[in-house]
Amino acid sequence: MQASLKQQQTQPDTTWKLRLQEWWFRNRALIGFAFIFPWFAGFIIFDAAPFIYNLYLSFTDYQIGTVGVPPWIGLENYIEIFTDDKLFGKSMYNTVYYLGFSVPLRLIFAFLIALILNLRVRGMELYRTLFYVPSVVPLVAATVIFAGFLNTRYGFLNQFLVLIGVTPVRWLSSPDAIKPSLILISLWGFGGQMIIFLAGLQSIPDDLYEAAAIDGGTGWHRLIYITIPLMTPTIFFNLLLGLIGGFQIFEQVFILLDTNGGPLQAGLVYMLHVYNKAFRDFEFGYSAALSVILFLIIFVLTLMVVYTSNRWVFYGDAQDDES
Amino acid sequence: MKVSRLIGLAIAVMMLLSLGLAPTLAQDCDGEVIELEFMNWWGAAREALMDTLIGHFEAENPCIRVINQVQPWDNRAELLATAAASSNPPGIIMSTRPETYQFAISGLIIPIDSFVEAHGTDLSVFYDGEIGLQYWNGELYGLPMPTAGGLTSLYIYNKDMLRDAGFDPEAPPKTWQELEEMSAAITVADPMGVDVMGTQVIGITGGDASFVSWLYTNNGRYSSDDGRTLLFNSPEGIETLEWMVNFTNNINGGVENVTDFFQDTAFAQGDHPWYDNQLAFLRINTSFYGHYNVNDPEGYANTSHWGTMLRPYNGDNPDATHAGTTGYNYSGAWAYTIPAVHPPEKQEAAFKFAEFIGVHPLGGCAFLFAQSRPSPVRECNENPAYYEVNPTWSVVLEGLATDVAVSITPVQGQLAEILANAIEEALFAVKSPADALNDAHAEMQALLDEFWAEFDAENM
Repeated sequence: MQASLKQQQTQPDTTWKLRLQEWWFRNRALIGFAFIFPWFAGFIIFDAAPFIYNLYLSFTDYQIGTVGVPPWIGLENYIEIFTDDKLFGKSMYNTVYYLGFSVPLRLIFAFLIALILNLRVRGMELYRTLFYVPSVVPLVAATVIFAGFLNTRYGFLNQFLVLIGVTPVRWLSSPDAIKPSLILISLWGFGGQMIIFLAGLQSIPDDLYEAAAIDGGTGWHRLIYITIPLMTPTIFFNLLLGLIGGFQIFEQVFILLDTNGGPLQAGLVYMLHVYNKAFRDFEFGYSAALSVILFLIIFVLTLMVVYTSNRWVFYGDAQDDES
Repeated sequence: MKVSRLIGLAIAVMMLLSLGLAPTLAQDCDGEVIELEFMNWWGAAREALMDTLIGHFEAENPCIRVINQVQPWDNRAELLATAAASSNPPGIIMSTRPETYQFAISGLIIPIDSFVEAHGTDLSVFYDGEIGLQYWNGELYGLPMPTAGGLTSLYIYNKDMLRDAGFDPEAPPKTWQELEEMSAAITVADPMGVDVMGTQVIGITGGDASFVSWLYTNNGRYSSDDGRTLLFNSPEGIETLEWMVNFTNNINGGVENVTDFFQDTAFAQGDHPWYDNQLAFLRINTSFYGHYNVNDPEGYANTSHWGTMLRPYNGDNPDATHAGTTGYNYSGAWAYTIPAVHPPEKQEAAFKFAEFIGVHPLGGCAFLFAQSRPSPVRECNENPAYYEVNPTWSVVLEGLATDVAVSITPVQGQLAEILANAIEEALFAVKSPADALNDAHAEMQALLDEFWAEFDAENM
């Protein structure tokens, strides 16, 4: 009798929970959308809308103080960029030069450090932390430190070079040395890529290495035939991020070389040109067109890398499915 | 007593204090208090001085509350452009001459002639060359403070270094040739470049301004009075750049030595070679006296150690003489401009503040005196106490008197970049000085012609 009474008392609760579960299940898609809505709203407001507005501005003569609708000038900004803007070619060359060296060097550097940090050595957690710490130093602070580090007369690097009998380098005052200096500085932020590589390395099953060892494979063989092929998705990911980020290099140059890009504008990178057009010359429409061109270049390059990835990126799971 | 109680008590006291202070202003003001955001770049070091100025202003104008918004120098252009173009800009903006012109032509700021007339502001108290720089297209857009003059005409020099090199410390160089002779004797090279330098004749940043300054000491001109024709590639201009290149190569050992010598140093921060007796002649602007006094009060007080001299001129050119330039430098000719979007009462308040900064004895006059630097108001500089706070005051006044106003346009930023690149091309031997200047002139004149064509079409 008592048990039956208890059951009656608890039944409504159970029903309520069941109904909620049913509702939850029926509307799971809606609930999912509700969860991603904050991100989606942020994307629309802070990414998509400004992008579309920027695209629109690139076809206008929008200058500071333009009241109302900026005058529509069609492709004039783009024509001027490709026919009359000397600094477009120069800044693009400087950026591609920087990119061509910094992206592969940083990838190789981060990969090598990740390989070392993947060894089973006592106290490895400490080493991993130490190697990652530079990446959490704010870029501005790191750049200011590098400015002192690369000072021709009093910088640590030149003092060291003099100590070992090497002629000091005018890192930031010689047009020939500026781009190599920027590339050198770019290696500083390898920690992010290193962590991704490290995660990739730790996901490679040990039995593959054991099988290779049984077959007499050396460390070099394991690296070439197991590690690198299985790491290609991670390399691909880091390469894409490196390319996208490399094209947008700005802060380091702005701090080290000012808005003109240093002597003979050897460090005038593309984003600095975009900045100057917007905030020094107040030609926002023109600057918008420059940034649209940069977007297209990054977009096409990304597509090319993605397209060619079929030939060199090895997805283990896909291979398994096919077999 | 527990810490939390102490904190609570402190907060309560602060709230009571703030409640007590707020009505003070409200009681003094008959109507509504207008808040005026004052966007400026006077820096943290001068914030207390500026607050004092604002205090005096608010005492005279109890219905206006000025909010001192000192801005960081980094990203200045970005901050200024976005603030000025926004729908809610500051109440009053401190801008340079090229920026004032750019804002004026864009309609972002208002001309202040009507306020000047309504308030009976006497513009004749300013030096003509100072107030004249704030006009664009016949309309006045701001009142100046500090001076545009004294930016290029003055040098400080190290008497001890002259004495040690065998020169009369009371007879600093007057001509280019004397400057060369003394600098060559003083400069000491080392394996890393230059250890002790006489002087450099090129700019550390913005080489165009240095060239234009030297150009006027060789009887040359940057542009015509109407600002429509560029004249810097004259024979005087080419001779000037050739002299700068030769000086840099022969005495300094090349442009890179100069850059390295001054790398990561700033006079205002006290880590400049001047303070270590490593530099004999230093081109200064009038703010340097205040910085010198703050960073090295003993050195500043010792007038047997340093002096002020005028920028040397080309002794081989019979028409050349001492000269400085005003209004050319991108960082010069500051004024206080009023955004167009604000309601009339706020614009009125902004003008009152601009007028106070500009002409009131307790405004810019006192503010600049405290820094031992001159005012654009003639009468302020006649204060005999200046000779006590700045022992070389007579030379400063002489420098102001020799300054020549340079005509520029709203596209000055773009023109300056082209000219700066041309100077670098000559210094790095990419081009001869003549080719560098002629090529730059062609490019700049085309840009200028385009600007004037558009301007004339809109204003016809």
